[in-house]
Amino acid sequence: MAGKIVLCRCEDVTLSDLEHSVSRGYRDIEEVKRYTGFGTGPCQGKECLAVVALQLARITQQHPSAIPPFTSRPPLAPTPLKLLAKDPGAHRFADETDEGED
Amino acid sequence: MRLSGSSVRAYADESIAAASIACGSRVLSRSLKYHRPRTFFCFEGHCSGCLVRLGGVPNLRACQSPCTPGAEVEGQNAFPSAEIDLLGAVDFLFSRGMDHHTLMTGSSVLNKLANKVVRQLSGLGKLPTHAAAELPEVGRFDVDVCVIGGGPAGLAAASTTARAGRRTVLVDDQLRPGGSMRTDPRVGRALAEHYGAETVRTGVAVLARSTAIGFFPEDDGGVLAVSAPDRLYRIYARHWIWATGGYVVNLPFPDNDRPGVLAARAVGRLLVDHGILAGERVCIVETPAMEQDVTALAQALTGAGADVTRVPLADVVGTRGRGWITAIDTKRGKLDCDLVAVAATPAPASEGARQQGCSVVLDEHAGGFKIVTDDAGRTSTANVWACGDVTGYQGPAAAAADGARVGANVVEAG
Ligand code: FES
Ligand code: FES
Repeated sequence: MAGKIVLCRCEDVTLSDLEHSVSRGYRDIEEVKRYTGFGTGPCQGKECLAVVALQLARITQQHPSAIPPFTSRPPLAPTPLKLLAKDPGAHRFADETDEGED
Repeated sequence: MRLSGSSVRAYADESIAAASIACGSRVLSRSLKYHRPRTFFCFEGHCSGCLVRLGGVPNLRACQSPCTPGAEVEGQNAFPSAEIDLLGAVDFLFSRGMDHHTLMTGSSVLNKLANKVVRQLSGLGKLPTHAAAELPEVGRFDVDVCVIGGGPAGLAAASTTARAGRRTVLVDDQLRPGGSMRTDPRVGRALAEHYGAETVRTGVAVLARSTAIGFFPEDDGGVLAVSAPDRLYRIYARHWIWATGGYVVNLPFPDNDRPGVLAARAVGRLLVDHGILAGERVCIVETPAMEQDVTALAQALTGAGADVTRVPLADVVGTRGRGWITAIDTKRGKLDCDLVAVAATPAPASEGARQQGCSVVLDEHAGGFKIVTDDAGRTSTANVWACGDVTGYQGPAAAAADGARVGANVVEAG
């Protein structure tokens, strides 16, 4: 293994990937997420969002409070699909999809 | 149970992760891009480093799955096995990093090949062997107070509201409630069990191994979806209290992802909650903010017979080891070790509260995006409150006091 400083273990995003992203002009947290893929692994950023955001503040010389988090979306943890199958919401979704296909 | 084909003896209800580390089985999977070895880091269900295939179902967290007799546990995402992985060559070939935006230029044949290989290598696990036999019904709670998080703050808040006669449900994602109390030698397992039992006695409905997976504001005035092991719950509440604490995170140093680099809190959890000493020669890599926590952990590890060295983050220049860690390199030279414990300020687990519209702010001392509250514990969203480490790291004793205080304020608010 080479001496990589890993910031996001799920997606193998390193400190130099983050620096690269900033140097190409992607310096907003959502842009960095899309460019490097950090925060998109199975932990959904639990381990890396704060770490990347604090490093981004340092690299771009911004006050941390100027950096917002990326949007939080469900599900917040790995969830077996079978748990959702009988939820009324799932049926609403299925109905809408059916209508769409007609 | 069976671990990658070999029989392993384990205690019932112990997590599969604790059982495998106790018997020396360590590398469980490979990372997606460079196929670097991946294994446990947090032991609390949040890093996803321990994903395994269990009884034919992929992507289950070994640290949150109890051992059961005859359980079949397999590693995933590696060829031919997680411990020896031929695809690890990707890491070597792209030692300076791989930019997947510019990788696929050049020759079209190479592109096609690269695409094929990338498809083979990426993706997480393989589909389950069988379809679910039956689909569970969805449960429902209508309560006065819903507390999310069963650590020191959440248990204290929930028992306070329940004692005052409020119908209270508490959602906790761990195998057993207690949160950071189970990882801290200054508190310990016995006190965690005591507070957990006390909370049940006050009348709180405690949902263990249950995770708040999302808040849906558009649904009947707002519903929290909670996944329990056997079903989904819809929770409706008049008041919400976020007591989700913080996630352990890693510190930035070269090769900080080598197996054997664990969160210090995970090392504490193994010792305090499971009675497992995960290493004989332990290096603790720390930041100044965690000094007191590290002192307590170092004492406990030394007391259990380990040889402990503390290293400031600024001194670490690399790590060594094939598979598992064997040494770290520091500015003062090489330190042999069989475990590295990383002590960083935990990052507030605020993403659920963010779905309820609560304001958060990035704050280095707080460990990340803390929920912003007023003196009473109110967040920026009406009827949503927060207490404990999710409002900035404070440690188990202070978090418990904060939980009791905010619980009382919720009662007063009606
Ligand atoms: S560590 Fe970044 S998504 Fe998990
Ligand atoms: S999720 Fe199991 S070790 Fe982190």
